[in-house]
Amino acid sequence: MKSNRRFHLLWVFVVAGLALVPFVTSGTYITGVMCFVAFYATLACGMALLLHQAGLFSLAHPTFFGLGAYTAGILAARDLLPPWAGIIAAALVVAIVAYVIGAPLLRLSGYYLACATFGLLFIVEITLGQLGPITGGHDGLMDIPPLSFFGFTLQGDFHYYYVAWGLCLGCLWFFSNIMNSRIGRAIKAQHDSETAASCVGINVPRCKLHVFVLTAVTASMAGSLYCFYLEFAAPSMFGFPLLVELFTIVVIGGAATLYGPILGSIALMSIREAIHVHLKGVLPKMTAEVDAVFFGVLIVAILIFMPEGLVGTLDRLAHAGRRFLGKST
Amino acid sequence: MANQPDSVQINVQGLSRSFAGIRALSLVSFSVKRGTIMSLIGPNGAGKSTLINVITGVHAPNSGRIHFDGEDIAGLSAHVIASKGIARTFQLEELFGSMTVLENAMTGCYGRSKSGVIASGFRFPSTRREEERVRKEGMDGLAMVGLDAKATEPISRLPLGERKLVGIARALCMKPSFLMLDEPAGGLAAHEVNRLVDLIHVLLGQGLTILLVEHNMPFVMSLSEKIIVLDAGVKIAEGSPDEVRNNERVVKAYLGEE
Repeated sequence: MKSNRRFHLLWVFVVAGLALVPFVTSGTYITGVMCFVAFYATLACGMALLLHQAGLFSLAHPTFFGLGAYTAGILAARDLLPPWAGIIAAALVVAIVAYVIGAPLLRLSGYYLACATFGLLFIVEITLGQLGPITGGHDGLMDIPPLSFFGFTLQGDFHYYYVAWGLCLGCLWFFSNIMNSRIGRAIKAQHDSETAASCVGINVPRCKLHVFVLTAVTASMAGSLYCFYLEFAAPSMFGFPLLVELFTIVVIGGAATLYGPILGSIALMSIREAIHVHLKGVLPKMTAEVDAVFFGVLIVAILIFMPEGLVGTLDRLAHAGRRFLGKST
Repeated sequence: MANQPDSVQINVQGLSRSFAGIRALSLVSFSVKRGTIMSLIGPNGAGKSTLINVITGVHAPNSGRIHFDGEDIAGLSAHVIASKGIARTFQLEELFGSMTVLENAMTGCYGRSKSGVIASGFRFPSTRREEERVRKEGMDGLAMVGLDAKATEPISRLPLGERKLVGIARALCMKPSFLMLDEPAGGLAAHEVNRLVDLIHVLLGQGLTILLVEHNMPFVMSLSEKIIVLDAGVKIAEGSPDEVRNNERVVKAYLGEE
């Protein structure tokens, strides 16, 4: 129970620290970057849950992010629904899509599931580009209004910072509750041994579908918020490059814990911003390519030198530090 | 009617199952009375584990019927069969390696708890109460096999003998009426086997029906009221330990032709 209290205290510190960021940093630059961190972290948490805890090698995560963005964006841009209702409508639509797609696809396992969901990633990206009259085509969806509820309209990075981090930490809390419940035990059980899981009464296909739909819905909510933040959405934002970035985040942060991807996305965004700032003079027109090369090298280096990611390495450092201080138990 | 003594709990009729043309089980029939223990023996590859897999729904039978409490369960999904009160352990453990000992036991309570994704994610009061109950039942299950002191250890830290006991605790947490033990004494030290014998007597005393698959003959002979013998997927003998011991076909199956 003592460690439990320490854990709660840590939560309070993290939330308080995050809440202060926009006040203690000058200008809106860091706040803006941290908005992106929150969106990426929300996505990556779901993906780590799917890949690591549930063992479902699904690559369609950016797709649900994109569908969430486009559904809410179109509904709001065409004045069909107010933005906040669009987020809920998008979540429902994505839940149905994930259910219909997941029911047959989740019968596949391992790399077959990866291949099928990888196909889905491209199908959705291309379809969004081709449906010009509805989605705005490859040029993107314009005229998305900012998020507003009950007469209050969110403006600028400052407001979105709190909403985005609220969603991110909310998802983290929800996921951690799930993993500490009977549903979480079923998720881990079917990953460890499908046969044993079904023999203790777990409906394995339904359990997989639950995780798939759940993570799709959180991705959709992040996507909806993302499009209101940018007031724009384009098909290329939800394709292969995003998938690579999410993978990098999960690898950097470590997938064994639920909060690892949050550290991962902070690290990835910091590195990317640093590259952009420092290499602007040297390679003015090549930032995207430099990103790709750099992340590739980074993934390989991390897999070699710290295979458990930031969380695993920090854990080991803390352990070594405690032993050094003679407090080891 | 369910608690009638001497009534048949499970009745298997003409069960067959082939894998890629090889008959793993061929027209196997037997029945187990409520509250009794029956053993299943046979040489390696006789189809013992296949029989358990078919009864629990891991594999569907090609033909035959399995009546459990009067209901035909042949060909149902494994999780549906589990919900009817049939529990099992595995020859090769099949524990949940990413969890602690207690979590393994608690997973056995899955079918008797019902918090959904939403209730679990938001930690509704009903979920917390249920989680508390499941935790207690998991500890009770571990206490039955004498492992409650190791509840928080990860599975990988336990020696083989204790891992087998965790498998039994997990099965007991399902509160089954019929329990199948697949080579529970395999890899156990002598004193651990004795403890297992005691545990089985306790379970029989509680009215559980047990099907035991085992290679350890003294263990089987001392426990069983009835034994059936499988060889190459066919039932070759059935009877009391003495009858089976003196059966010519059984001796031949184990020792080979003269």
